[in-house]
Amino acid sequence: MNVVAQQAWYRLYSFMTLRGALTLLVVLAAIIPLVYVVSSSMDLDLAGWQGLWSSRLPGLLWNTLSLAVLVAAGCFVLGVSAAWWVTRREFPGRRLAVWLMVMPLTIPTYVFAHIYTVLLDDDGWLGQLWVTLFGTSPPELFNIAGVTFVLTLAGFSYVFLLVQDALSRSQQDLEEAARIQGATSSQVFRRINLPLLRPAIAAGLSVVVLHVLSDFGAVSMLRFQTFTLSIYLQMNSRFDFNAAAGLSLVLVSLSLTFLVLERFFRNRQRYYGSGKAKRISPRRATRFEVTMIWFWLGLITLFAVALPAIWMVVWSWDAWVDDLITTEFWGYVRNSMFVSIAAASITIFAALPVALYHARERSLLSQSFLYASSVGFVLPGPVIALGILAFVLANMPVLYGGMLVLVLAMVVRFLPLAIHAQESAAQQLTPSIEEAACNLGAGSWERLRRVTLPMIRGGIISAWVLVFIDTLKELPATLILRPTGFDTLPVRIWIEASEEMLELAAPAALMLVLGTLPILWFLIRPGRSTP
Amino acid sequence: MKRRLFALLIAGLLGWSGVAAAEELVIYSGRSDRFVKPVVEAFSDKTGIKVVLHSGSSTALLNKLKLEGPRTSADIYISNDAGNLQKGSEMSLFKPVSATLADRIPANYRAMDNSWIGVSARARVLVVNKNQNDTAFVKSVFDLADPRLAGKLAITHSGNESYIAGVTVYMQKAGNEKTSAWLAGMKNNINNSVFNKHSKIVKAVADGKKAIGLVNHYYIYRHLEKHPDAPIQILLPDQGKDDIGVAWNVAGVAVSKYSQHQHAAEKFIDFVTSQAGQQLFASVNREYPTRPGVAAAPEVPAAGSFKVADVPMAELGKYRNQTLDLIEAVGMP
Repeated sequence: MNVVAQQAWYRLYSFMTLRGALTLLVVLAAIIPLVYVVSSSMDLDLAGWQGLWSSRLPGLLWNTLSLAVLVAAGCFVLGVSAAWWVTRREFPGRRLAVWLMVMPLTIPTYVFAHIYTVLLDDDGWLGQLWVTLFGTSPPELFNIAGVTFVLTLAGFSYVFLLVQDALSRSQQDLEEAARIQGATSSQVFRRINLPLLRPAIAAGLSVVVLHVLSDFGAVSMLRFQTFTLSIYLQMNSRFDFNAAAGLSLVLVSLSLTFLVLERFFRNRQRYYGSGKAKRISPRRATRFEVTMIWFWLGLITLFAVALPAIWMVVWSWDAWVDDLITTEFWGYVRNSMFVSIAAASITIFAALPVALYHARERSLLSQSFLYASSVGFVLPGPVIALGILAFVLANMPVLYGGMLVLVLAMVVRFLPLAIHAQESAAQQLTPSIEEAACNLGAGSWERLRRVTLPMIRGGIISAWVLVFIDTLKELPATLILRPTGFDTLPVRIWIEASEEMLELAAPAALMLVLGTLPILWFLIRPGRSTP
Repeated sequence: MKRRLFALLIAGLLGWSGVAAAEELVIYSGRSDRFVKPVVEAFSDKTGIKVVLHSGSSTALLNKLKLEGPRTSADIYISNDAGNLQKGSEMSLFKPVSATLADRIPANYRAMDNSWIGVSARARVLVVNKNQNDTAFVKSVFDLADPRLAGKLAITHSGNESYIAGVTVYMQKAGNEKTSAWLAGMKNNINNSVFNKHSKIVKAVADGKKAIGLVNHYYIYRHLEKHPDAPIQILLPDQGKDDIGVAWNVAGVAVSKYSQHQHAAEKFIDFVTSQAGQQLFASVNREYPTRPGVAAAPEVPAAGSFKVADVPMAELGKYRNQTLDLIEAVGMP
């Protein structure tokens, strides 16, 4: 009894530290947009809710959920199959294949959407091919199949990355045991590999689903009414902020339910490998397998990397020849880089207290902090931007119109990515190391600086990279919050693409890809620690 | 080292906010960059006033103005759609332009209180394929609902500003019921497929994939410039004695209520309503200058040679939400 009371007291006491205060501060900043959404939707009266329910909600729910399921299924097939071949078979060009499967991460969804609407036009490359092959006019992308196609190409890499990582760490003994018992290879896959991969697959798919729920670029270009698009239209063409907030509230509840469910199912199952077990080394692929593998991976690469890349290069070349790449263009590049670097650097610092707190405590409080700081991922970008805007205008008007507000919005939006990466790295750190440092007389700051931080460096780098990439591609919040006349690459792509100035949209998209590639190396470099 | 970098970053973040303080005109523009830039450059050359162009979608920028309130850095708002301008006027975001400048433009092309001024006008017209005579019976936009056009009609999606503004005009002139029936009829004729760009409608008609399309007039001439032999021609609808006339919409400018540079802003309004400015603003897009006596591009039907629906442009904003409700009730894609 005494011990329990002491522990409870200790827990409370330990929270009243600088670290605790920092954690609270970060969480409070993270929920600004949520507070805005809740308070604005309070203004929506019963009739307003009824109007939403009868006119929009059922259709939006159906559209959004079916899109999420379809994209998740598509990403599952592409991501898991590619990860399996890349980790389990040794074939010529294996390292290249890993690169090719990750490269789509550098292409934003709205660029995919734009490129494929152009390519599938009657006189586009694919459109012409389609007409010669089938004699009918090419398929339209302005429906659920088209949006699924685009979002799957843009998202399967998340599943690939996580599953590939899990597969490359899986150990040989279980599979061997199953084989000795006479299991066929498909049985081994179904009964041994798949259950072991479930956490990685679930994590990958949840990232995909959250991206689908909050995607603005592709759905607005393809005009597919999901929650995010409808919220944007409510605000922008009807100036109805309360209805927009009401819809956002539904979306947030949906996403949070999904997150809680995902965590719940993931936590229920754990498997710890023993340190001594042998890791699986990939088997040499037979010639037939090499053909099959490269046929499949080549097909994915063609649509997810090659076609968009060729398109960008061809149109950029035209722009270059026509002298359209002016100093203004390099200004957009500089602006994009500046915002992304600033946001990524600040985010990893902001995420640290929350991540460490949860990794160490694992209490209800730390769990709720984790959910609270996930707000950025479950709210659509335009809503986050408005929440931050309303907050800043009401409380710190001096900051308005400055870069800091834009960066703050990016930090809030992508905080969950960083927390997730750092927390999982911190989890693998045994507390005994920190305790040892403590015994040797290191204070808490020294412990953090000399023990914890160096040991979770991998997680911090991953966090920085993920936030950098997503900020570089971010569109809706940037559109709303950028300082006057401050154009970034995504903003320019958006403007030029909506005016059909392809030769101006292409170089901006190409620069986004080129800017991300070297950063991406950190994610898939050989021997990286797990994200 | 790390600490110094961090300090640099913070300094950069804070410093950026102060940059826009110099004497310059900030324009929020919802009109295509390529049409606004030449005008802005000519203005800067003439007056020496530096301009910062902040482009985006008309409605999003209007929202921004509203949220920013007195803190806005915008001096001028440009929109392609009278509906947006009137909406801004209703939210009292604009400061009326002086009567001497406003009087250069006829009253039905500007707000009642002169809080915005229409600068260039465009007509909602039909584009037809010359080689297909199955559209010969079409004289009015309401004929587009005729079942004879099943599968032959091309229209844009119902999020398009020009499309919405057009429907508002038809609603005002023909009433809700007729407009609603008209939308439903068109819905049957489009085979569930709408176009995301007006330029693609013109192209589809030129290629013979569709027989007829509803567009803004300048898209036809833009296509003809690139493909002079395209078998398309303009059809001005509703020209009979009792017909409503062509629906009309304007692009216009307004001065932000909280502009710190009222003088420079007035100069800009002066420029775009001057003879030369009118010519430039309209001609880059083959639109009709709103100032009487300034000629439009030679290839478009001369202003005054056809009948225009007499709906004041200010109404386009007033009935916008009703129009959206009607379109949604019919379920147009």
